[in-house]
Amino acid sequence: MPNQSGNVYGLTILSPIINGAAGDISHDCAIRDYLAGLPRDHRSLFAKVSSTHLARLVVMDDVVFVGTPAREEHLQSKYLVFETNFDGDLDTYLERMAREAPEEVNAVWQHCVGYPGVKDPAAFAAYMKKCQIETTYFFADVNNKTVQQTLRALKVQSGVAHFIEVNQGKSPSEIQAAFRQFLEKVRHAPEPLAGEYEGHPHLPARGEGASQRTDPLAEESEGHHG
Amino acid sequence: MVNLNVADIQGFVLRGYNFPFARYLLLELEGPEKGRDFIGRIIPHITTGQRWENKPPSTVNIAFTHKGLARLGLPDATLLSFPAEFFQGMKGRKEILCDTGRNASENWDEVWRNDVVHVWLGVHALTPEALEERCAEMDGIMQGTGGAHLRQAQDAKAVFIDNKPSSKEHFGYTDGFGNPDFEGADRHSQPGQGKLTKEGDWVPLATGEFVLGYPDEAGELPVAPVPHLLANNGSFMVYRKLHENVATFRDYLEEQSRHYAGGKEKLAAKFVGRWRDGTPVELSPDAPDPAIAADPKRNVNFTFGRDLDGVHCPIGAHVRRVNPRDSAGFHGLLVNRRRISRRGLPYGEYVPEAEPVSDKDDRGVIFMVLNSSIFRQFEFVHQQWIEYGNDAHQGSDKDLMLGNHDGRGKFMIQGSTDPRNPPFVCARLPQFVELRGGDYFFMPSLTALRLIADNSVDPR
Repeated sequence: MPNQSGNVYGLTILSPIINGAAGDISHDCAIRDYLAGLPRDHRSLFAKVSSTHLARLVVMDDVVFVGTPAREEHLQSKYLVFETNFDGDLDTYLERMAREAPEEVNAVWQHCVGYPGVKDPAAFAAYMKKCQIETTYFFADVNNKTVQQTLRALKVQSGVAHFIEVNQGKSPSEIQAAFRQFLEKVRHAPEPLAGEYEGHPHLPARGEGASQRTDPLAEESEGHHG
Repeated sequence: MVNLNVADIQGFVLRGYNFPFARYLLLELEGPEKGRDFIGRIIPHITTGQRWENKPPSTVNIAFTHKGLARLGLPDATLLSFPAEFFQGMKGRKEILCDTGRNASENWDEVWRNDVVHVWLGVHALTPEALEERCAEMDGIMQGTGGAHLRQAQDAKAVFIDNKPSSKEHFGYTDGFGNPDFEGADRHSQPGQGKLTKEGDWVPLATGEFVLGYPDEAGELPVAPVPHLLANNGSFMVYRKLHENVATFRDYLEEQSRHYAGGKEKLAAKFVGRWRDGTPVELSPDAPDPAIAADPKRNVNFTFGRDLDGVHCPIGAHVRRVNPRDSAGFHGLLVNRRRISRRGLPYGEYVPEAEPVSDKDDRGVIFMVLNSSIFRQFEFVHQQWIEYGNDAHQGSDKDLMLGNHDGRGKFMIQGSTDPRNPPFVCARLPQFVELRGGDYFFMPSLTALRLIADNSVDPR
């Protein structure tokens, strides 16, 4: 079924960008400028809408025909492409966007044709659905677990590795006692915040910052903010 | 079936020579005219891919950095047509290769820090005498033409055990198994060396994965410079001088094995995916088996599909990372465009296990790679499979042996409920291997060498 992969919803939106300028800058450039300045970490607008697994905003200028015989064709306007994979249903997600990140949503979509704003959440939802096209490809790492479950699993995984590292070779009773403590710590660990996990970069570790491991359940927690 | 003109391809592209002695002459070229004169005089000495009746006493091969080709006066239109990574050179690719920290170029041998290496002249020999003789000949050509100056001579030689050359490197592992088989390469094919078919058989890879001018695994011609005549039958070579911290390695293995119920040799085997005698762990998980290690029909002939949990061979073990075979599914299709052909020899004196050893001694491996696309093949393997672990489901863990760890790394041994094969975590990995220099080279065909020597490279 399009748009749905297990419990994860895939939303793809194509919003036509207004031709011409907003003051002395064209609308597409204004979007690019704004997107370039957005934070990508836990301060990202998609960390606010915390059910987001992955989201992407792209300005699509035109399409280029690749093939033979060559043909010249163009889009009627530039488009804002919005792709996101999230937990839950579409209506809830759109409502959260309107409620939890209204400034960012307005700053981007105000440059699009027919955008009604977020003051009326129903009008915003209707607009987004009108721009929606079917999604059949999902983020490869989506595995039917929620964002929270995934973040927590990553923390537990690195915590377990650290636990084994410091306890392997000890006597069974020592390990058991240490494991009880560890389990308690896992149970009472605070809910992870969206976007906070650093130990799993999309790119291979580069430089010092990226090579710092995050062992949030370890004693000497490092490289971890939230 | 590809019919390769083996007389036009440098022998080093098609096969490792298995000679015990080598000297890599790192040369700086004089201006274009003298440089071309030097190339012209070297050409008759170049060892091609032609089959030998008898092994010659020594071989000579040649390759160029981008700066070297520029020094020879190749046209700009040709120089600009090379792939970007070759133009940038290995030093310029430090971000992608994670050549930072202890591996950073500030810590390389002087010859590699100063961008003076234009030519790699590789001399391999059966005896030290043959090596000296051939190198003296090369020196005579350098002096006679004034076209090239020796900036450094890097000696390398096989580790000798009981006065016989072995395939061991300094950590004690038997090395050099399983270069990928490709179509048209004139050599005995070993099961396990090429690519997997849907039926589970092994067949050679497409020629274009290793030699320019032939279709690759995607059915495309590899990215190559113009004119085609310059590129065809050539290949790209990566040269990395890898210092081995043997004392650190032995201490770490000793210390970790005190806590590992499988014992020291099994732990060493789990690191790499081969027992130190070369037996694949996947085929003989409990003990080394010299009969398998010595059998070319078996020693590279294995897959990981029945060991997806890493019970026998850890998922992050070296051989499994750098050649995942069928681990990634799709009958190995995802792996076929990421294969590299390896060459190399140890340098420095081998110190037997029982004797004291220091990290400070100059000791390691001269590691070389031949492939059609340094970017798509070598760099991908190094970036994604050595310095990162996601494809192997190992998060940010790096390859235990080659990873740039800096004391932080860890390595998971998955194991099982068998008390002799327990799960184990090796943490606080020190840096076992450090980069001491190297660069990216183009190894042209004999035709291309003649074009260069005649100053007739014409990109139009």
